[in-house]
Amino acid sequence: MIEVRDARKWIQNGARRVDILKGISLTIPAGQFVAVVGASGSGKSTLLGLLAGLDTPSAGEIWLDGVPIHNLVESQLAAVRGRKIGFVFQSYQLIQTLTALENVLLPYELNLEGNGIDKARRLLDEVGLRERMDHYPLQLSGGEQQRVALARAFVADPPIVMADEPTGNLDSTNGRHVLDLLLERNRKMGTTLVLVTHDSEVASQADRKIVLKDGLVVEDTLPAAAASEALVQSEEKNG
Amino acid sequence: MAKRALSWRRAAAIGWRDLKSAPGKFAFVVLSVAVGVAALVGVRGLSDSFRRTLSGEARSLMAGDLSARIFHDPTADELAHVATIMKSGAGGARSTWVTETVSMASVPHDPVPLLVSLKAVDPSEYPYYGTAQLQPAMSLKDALAGDSAVVADEFLIRLNAHVGETLRLGGRTFRIVAVLMQEPDRITAGAGLGPRVMISQEALKETGLVAPGSRVSERLLVKLPDSRGRGLTADAAIGAMRSQLESALPDAQVMDFREGNPALTRGLDNATSILSLICLVAMVLGAIGVAMAMHAHLEQRMDMLAILKALGAGSGDLLRIFLLQTLGLGLAGAVLGVAAGVGVMAALPSAFGNLLPVHAVLGVPWQSGLAGLGTGILTTLLFCLPPLLDVRGVRPVLVLRRLVEQGPSGLQGRFARWLKRWPQLLLSAALVLPLIGIAWALSDSAAVGVRFGAAFAGALVVLLILAAVTLAMLRFLLNRTRLGLPSSLRHGLANLYRPGNQSAPVLASLGTGVMLILAVYLIQVDLLRDLHETASPRLPNVFLVDVRTDEVAGVKALFQRHPGVTHTPDLLPVVLGRFLSIKGQQVERMKGQHFPLRMLESAELSWADAPPEGDKVIEGAWWKDANASEIAFGDGVAKRLQVHAGSQVELEIGGGTRALTVGAIYRADGQHPGARVQFELPSGLLKDQPATWYGGTRVDPRQIPAIERELFVAYPTVTVINVADVLDRIESVVDQITFVVRLLAGFSILAGLMILASSIASTRFRRMREAVVLKTLGATRMRIVRTFSVEFSVLGLLAGSVGVVFANVLTRVLLRRLDVSFHVEWGATVIALAGTAILATATGWIASYRILGLRPLEVLREE
Repeated sequence: MIEVRDARKWIQNGARRVDILKGISLTIPAGQFVAVVGASGSGKSTLLGLLAGLDTPSAGEIWLDGVPIHNLVESQLAAVRGRKIGFVFQSYQLIQTLTALENVLLPYELNLEGNGIDKARRLLDEVGLRERMDHYPLQLSGGEQQRVALARAFVADPPIVMADEPTGNLDSTNGRHVLDLLLERNRKMGTTLVLVTHDSEVASQADRKIVLKDGLVVEDTLPAAAASEALVQSEEKNG
Repeated sequence: MAKRALSWRRAAAIGWRDLKSAPGKFAFVVLSVAVGVAALVGVRGLSDSFRRTLSGEARSLMAGDLSARIFHDPTADELAHVATIMKSGAGGARSTWVTETVSMASVPHDPVPLLVSLKAVDPSEYPYYGTAQLQPAMSLKDALAGDSAVVADEFLIRLNAHVGETLRLGGRTFRIVAVLMQEPDRITAGAGLGPRVMISQEALKETGLVAPGSRVSERLLVKLPDSRGRGLTADAAIGAMRSQLESALPDAQVMDFREGNPALTRGLDNATSILSLICLVAMVLGAIGVAMAMHAHLEQRMDMLAILKALGAGSGDLLRIFLLQTLGLGLAGAVLGVAAGVGVMAALPSAFGNLLPVHAVLGVPWQSGLAGLGTGILTTLLFCLPPLLDVRGVRPVLVLRRLVEQGPSGLQGRFARWLKRWPQLLLSAALVLPLIGIAWALSDSAAVGVRFGAAFAGALVVLLILAAVTLAMLRFLLNRTRLGLPSSLRHGLANLYRPGNQSAPVLASLGTGVMLILAVYLIQVDLLRDLHETASPRLPNVFLVDVRTDEVAGVKALFQRHPGVTHTPDLLPVVLGRFLSIKGQQVERMKGQHFPLRMLESAELSWADAPPEGDKVIEGAWWKDANASEIAFGDGVAKRLQVHAGSQVELEIGGGTRALTVGAIYRADGQHPGARVQFELPSGLLKDQPATWYGGTRVDPRQIPAIERELFVAYPTVTVINVADVLDRIESVVDQITFVVRLLAGFSILAGLMILASSIASTRFRRMREAVVLKTLGATRMRIVRTFSVEFSVLGLLAGSVGVVFANVLTRVLLRRLDVSFHVEWGATVIALAGTAILATATGWIASYRILGLRPLEVLREE
């Protein structure tokens, strides 16, 4: 479970302070598919960065499965990222000098014991890249690169996958394929999926939609089942 | 169980793939290291070879490593003691006795005998260094077999004799088998009285010339075992042997090859110092280049670093990748450098052939190669560590947004940012220690190591501060005038201090490069000028002995009117005197002072009412009164006798006894005839005494035989000693030093140019985006070229100015230490200044060429 308590983020450029997130609180239960939407500059990617431990909040708290990641030092944060989170980015962010297989293998080698090569091969096979394993990113199309990125995000079996506009650079066919793979992971493996998107169609498939505007949550829509469950939990807590 | 480290194998694979992705850029880095290492290997290899050659030349002037001269037949005890030293202490040292005396010699057709300077050697041992050149050519061993003799050309001229005739010496007849054209130890053997005749020791015994009480000089020549140790090791071995000889032969005058000729020794010392300095300069230049290139490389790899961190890599994992990469680059550069250095050394003789004034055997410099390899890798790693530590500060959030957070502004903010980089700062400061260690190892001197490390660190810090201050001043001025300037100029100048630009470090490193190149050049120019001014051209190559007072004017006139004589002979009077006591101690009771008493009992005195040319008073003061009861001592004798200014001596001159006070101690430069006189007195005390005049002058070597004949006809008792061949050898040594210093300076300058280029090229990637943005806004390629040109040329001019000032300061300080005078080289200064600006601009253009051709979309799409 991810818990955000009054998280704020600002950056200091010279004498000027730029507020990006102005106080956000939310809870994401395990296995939920959350779509974060909002206009450009609303703070979506910054929120994703904080949730994933890529950055630390200027104020407030972020808890990941009971661990206060806002307090962790860089090496501990790296461990959390490596074991708990898989990433998918809009611009794929593959290492250009490694093959598709080596890119997929990388999180395994960084974070786990043993040989992950079979698993990496299987995942690439699952995303339809059996014949392209030894190709470098530059030799792959955008859709193929994003599927490599998906396999890389799944290889260490992280309980959470965070995706930043994963379909933003893809045509509709490839976008659909990528989204299907993410949803399949979420539904079959119970992986929490936090997805930042501009695309309302993609957002509509989420369990929950969080809308950001100027660094604040302006809308947090829970699906009916999830909303009632949350209400019960809240009442029990309040006694 | 989870692990938290990338395997070395995977780290190496990622690093290797990264290297392969930009071979051009890394080729530049490898080349930077290679040039530094090649310079190092070349410098040390050549230096070793030349040291061996030059030491050999210096040794050949003595014909051994050490010599011990006594003026009596060695006693049985002394012989036994020497034999013990040779057998035990020095592990394979060899020695031989050389006997020198004067005798009368005659040829059958001329009954008038001639006083000759007789030398007896064991031809199977003598000479240990150098060769005795004979005409017709043959070995000395063959020439001196049985009743044979070799003689100087002068002997044949004076007695009108020829090779093949006989000469009579003592009770025996010898056949003249060859003319002695060159005798290696002619200078150190002493002036002698008459032309040289050389026979074997065996033959000398049979002449009966040497008997108890004979006035002979016995010189023990010692050759140490061939030591591969350089510098301190060889010095230590010579020092140890010297003290053993001094103890075995208490009243011997012991010398080693380093004292043979002061000008040559000084030249060698200076050359050695400068070579060590050049080694260090080349090494540091290479390391700085690599560090700057790695810094630029990491900046380009920010995205990759952020991705890796986002995937769970820690700073240690990233450091591992780039450390291996740096190690690989250092190794590649070092191997290439060693190969290049060895290759250059191997190619030198065949490339230059006879033009090369080098007679050194240029073998494969294994030691230098290993030293280069180790130093190349070590310095690359050390200098790259501070920029590599920057990976700690890479934020994984960069994968999501590129917004640059500058942090708080003002001094406090800047201080906080500096403080955040404390490991880099600490490591940079600590780099001085290994640098000192390497400098120490390379120069064989802790003092040089410490001074070099401190001076380098100090210069770099001052240069950085100076660069920052200069840029701040420029910014201050621009803020007030910028809108009035043409836009290309304004834009170019503004580039110098835009956020994220590395102007100050580039300026500092460019300045360091210019400083080092110019300093090396200035030092070699002044050093060579000094070497040529003080060494060979003024050294007399003809010595005159036994000129009577009434012959002085005539001899001078004869030389003056003869073509080929460059200087009128400097003649100085010598009066024989006898020291009775030194500092109250009777001379005849003085023992074990390592000084031949004979030189006190038959002391050669001269007069001068002011320090003679070439002499420098180092203690006390010269007398002003020509009749003062004072005496001046040469520093060598004063040291041996422990005499100081104010000491009292008693001297017998012309039958009368005088009590004298030592007024001054002086040091002779070894280039004037006065150098051989160890005692000077006021003229009033000596000029009425019967004197013999000695002197020397410089004559065209081809004219010497003609002058000898003319002088013999007019003044038959005057002896001429021709040392032109020895002087030629000294000149050839000076030429060799000149060649080596120029060659090595060339190496260093090449290394420096590479670094200048890499300083500019390292900013290439930062300009890429700027160029395409300008293009998008409608700027032409020419307009961008103009803007960049302004920035590069101003950067070059500023760096050039800073470098020129520091180079002159550095040169002045170093030359003062070497006791060489400093001259401002205006030509070199202007060339350095203009050259840096031109080079900076040209390199900038070359490095930006591909940027100018980029289509905007190629870059913007990648953003």
